[in-house]
Amino acid sequence: MQSGRKWTLRGPMQGYLIFVGKRLLQLFAVVFFGVSATFLVTHLSPVSPVEASLGRMTARSNFSPEAIVAMREALTDMYGVNEPLLVQYWNFWVRLLQGDLGPSLIAFPTPAMDLVMRALPWTVGLLVTSTLITWIVGNILGGLAGYYQNSKFLKAFGIVAIGIQPIPYYIVAFILLIIFGFVWPVLPISGGFSMTVTPGWNWNFIASVLTHAILPATSLVLVGFGGWFLGMRALVSNVVTEDYVTYAELAGVNRNTIVGGYVIRNALVPQLTALAMTLGGVFSGTIITEQVFNYPGLGSLMIDAVGGGDYSLVLAVATVSVTAVALAIFIVDLMYPLLDPRVRAE
Amino acid sequence: MDRRRFLIGSTAIGALMVAGNNLAWGQEAEGTAPDLAQFPRNETVIVHNPEGVIRNPSWFNIWVNGGGGWSNGLHQLTMDTLWFIDPDAGVPEKSENAIYYSLASGPWEYNDDFSEMTVKLREGIFWSDGVEFTADDVVFTVEKQRDTPGMTWSGAMSTQVAEVTAPDKYTVHFKLKAPNSRFHTVFSVRWNAAWIMPKHVFEGVEDVLSYDYNPPLSLGPYTLHSFDPNGTWYIWEKRADWDKTTMALVGEPKPKYIIYRNNISTDNRLIEMRNGNLDMIHDLSPEGTFSIMDQDPQVQGWFPGFPYAHPDPTLVMAVFNHQNPLFADKRVRWALTLMLDARAMSMASYRGAATLSAISVPPTGTHPRDYHGPLQDYLVNYELDTGTRKIKPYDPNIGTQIAEMVRPQFGDAVPTDEDAIRNAFGYGWWKQDIAAAEELLTAAGFTKNGNQWMTPEGQPFQFSVLVPSEGVVNRLGVIIAQTWAQNGVQASAEVSPDIWDRTGAGDYAVEIGWAVETWGGHPDLSFFLDSYHSEYVAEPGATQPARNWMRWKNPGLDTIIENIRAIDFNDPKGTEYGHEFVKLHLDDMPNIPIMAYNVFSIQSNRYWTGWPNADAPYANPVTNWSNGKYIFTQITPVEGAS
Repeated sequence: MQSGRKWTLRGPMQGYLIFVGKRLLQLFAVVFFGVSATFLVTHLSPVSPVEASLGRMTARSNFSPEAIVAMREALTDMYGVNEPLLVQYWNFWVRLLQGDLGPSLIAFPTPAMDLVMRALPWTVGLLVTSTLITWIVGNILGGLAGYYQNSKFLKAFGIVAIGIQPIPYYIVAFILLIIFGFVWPVLPISGGFSMTVTPGWNWNFIASVLTHAILPATSLVLVGFGGWFLGMRALVSNVVTEDYVTYAELAGVNRNTIVGGYVIRNALVPQLTALAMTLGGVFSGTIITEQVFNYPGLGSLMIDAVGGGDYSLVLAVATVSVTAVALAIFIVDLMYPLLDPRVRAE
Repeated sequence: MDRRRFLIGSTAIGALMVAGNNLAWGQEAEGTAPDLAQFPRNETVIVHNPEGVIRNPSWFNIWVNGGGGWSNGLHQLTMDTLWFIDPDAGVPEKSENAIYYSLASGPWEYNDDFSEMTVKLREGIFWSDGVEFTADDVVFTVEKQRDTPGMTWSGAMSTQVAEVTAPDKYTVHFKLKAPNSRFHTVFSVRWNAAWIMPKHVFEGVEDVLSYDYNPPLSLGPYTLHSFDPNGTWYIWEKRADWDKTTMALVGEPKPKYIIYRNNISTDNRLIEMRNGNLDMIHDLSPEGTFSIMDQDPQVQGWFPGFPYAHPDPTLVMAVFNHQNPLFADKRVRWALTLMLDARAMSMASYRGAATLSAISVPPTGTHPRDYHGPLQDYLVNYELDTGTRKIKPYDPNIGTQIAEMVRPQFGDAVPTDEDAIRNAFGYGWWKQDIAAAEELLTAAGFTKNGNQWMTPEGQPFQFSVLVPSEGVVNRLGVIIAQTWAQNGVQASAEVSPDIWDRTGAGDYAVEIGWAVETWGGHPDLSFFLDSYHSEYVAEPGATQPARNWMRWKNPGLDTIIENIRAIDFNDPKGTEYGHEFVKLHLDDMPNIPIMAYNVFSIQSNRYWTGWPNADAPYANPVTNWSNGKYIFTQITPVEGAS
């Protein structure tokens, strides 16, 4: 028995390590293929960074045709886009492995990663906060609504959630803009912070950032809340019919314990997976939010990069995004056995 | 605390710390923003800059395209060069034919064959650090860019300048590689021009292509006060020694501070102006303009009533690709022209607020006086042979018809005076004449199969119309494609995000855009016309340099261009040659001129007043044009409004 027990302790750990190793390989494969696909797509794009840059410089100005030809040659050489695709691909990976994604072409010669790092905190700050708020509120209320199915208060929430869910995001955002920017102008409608505060760790700046985030965050919460609410309500509706819930109720276990400890906890596993995926997707930014509220972030950076044919910058954003999503999936995979005893047993 | 809670807690705290650190890092210290009390509205003008997020906000080296802003105040308030040419009339008595002698003390002086140019410079002009501007700065600007490929004006200098010298402190002499009577326009601001560099700063810079020039010196009346490290606003402060800049020749700029705000969506611009947070808006949609005009009596446009918008010296047109055999025959191009309905195009694109032009010159600046007016009789009597009969296709009353169409909605805002209607809606356009169009196509060998036109080769007459992804030009392109389709031509609108690339590459059949831009305030047409010479027409597959996107070739056109090259910029014969060009263009119809690129620029009189408009056209109100800087000398704060 002793030796057998030792074997069963070591066995799962070995299995878990093999599982981790496989997932790690998957992670690298996803990142490699994701980034390579992005490289290919961006380089096959008809938008030329040279022409985009040239257009910006000459569009409204007086340049002779000869001057434009000379500038085109100079920019082509400077941006290094005249090399064969395979050479560019090889150079890209060599640089990437050294932590260098090359210079942005729309902000040449600034490193592309610098631009990403300027935008990233805003996107992460806004989206992580709003996603977590949405997830927590949606799941708690959805879980309660699934368990207390006769509650009028929670039914009302269900109606609100179902009502808001199908409204296109930009409509919700625009309504908020009109109400709080035009009809009752009490909230800032534009930018990440006021131009009258000094950026840094001071209360005025933090308050300004928070105030400016209210409308974009509210719009995201309003639209995102319904999905979590409805999903959790459906999950809990299934869980409450399980034998162990009935047994707990018959055994006189406190209802709060049943709801929190048995029902919601068991229904939460798929929602956690979805949360991880959503948080991974945060790194892609939210384009419409940034456009409507002129909020800084990765979404508009990506649009500028695509529009300007800036391979480096698109790749920098995509690399961050692909890596984040792959990492999120990886972490969820690793956490499954820790979160769910049934998975661990398997 | 169990392991899981510890894990979750520590991860959350770690994430917050990382986010916090990144936020702080992202916000580090480029300029300390002042408190609100520093910007009383009677000292501060707030301007909308149409640029998106400025990705490299600390980049002020305008001589290298490094991702910094241009129209964020940098080129309007801190840059200067030899001459400025206003797209409108210019400030009365301060400019000559809309030409300002800025750093140059007078006009350009060429030798007889235009192979050398001499410029006399102003004395007593100073950079913001107190160093005097001299001829050495001009020589350095030219030589540095000539010898550094990749700088913005490097091509202009390297292809044209053989030698530049400074015979004395206030004189510059150029020897050109080839005669060019328009070389001075490299230093003449329309939207911008080759700005002069401070030699004493840049001569010490090892790699000018990676030099951010932060903070920038100023040769204009303002210096940088502070800016957003996220690239959405810039604040400029008036120099104490503003009178040592060329702006003093026009007047004292009134605002102490000018704030440029960019990356503001159309809806937000309206709200921000209504809330008193913007004084000048670069552009709105037609609908947005009509809405704010209706709601806010303090807001003004270029015209006092409908159509409000400022006609840019840019002509929107349907551009045919002449290297596409479908459009090789001018009868086909004319047929497609006569299928169009000017009223439908005006209503669909601008909701009627378009300024039409039947000729290949924008209806703005001096051009109604120099071209549209004088050529009216010619247009009215212009005859076109359809192959079956001769017709007079021009309708001088289209503008009046459109005015009547919009009057029920806009009432008294629509002008009734004939001259006012012409200025606002254009002089006239071509009658929609489907019968004549069919005769022209038939004469060109096309046949009709049911309601479908077939080419002489027996193929369906089918092509796509390249349109931008949004805006009034998109709307225009869609209605044009629809109109052609309704009349038996299989035309379909194709939205293209890379419309300029494809147009340059010749990868299109018909494109809705512009191949004509002029100085506006000056009748010379060389700004676009010189590039129409056949020597610049690219072979199929090669990139066409701006602006002859059509790749139109015509020996008569070459002659006109060469005649213009042989005379001075201010020679009145230039206008005569311009008339010849217009007539040749009508005969060939290489593209279909349609309307001015009207920009719905609006200004608020809530805090400041005295903005330019059609009655006082002293400057272009479109905020990203650098010559708009003169507006700041003409406006005054509204009493008691701060």
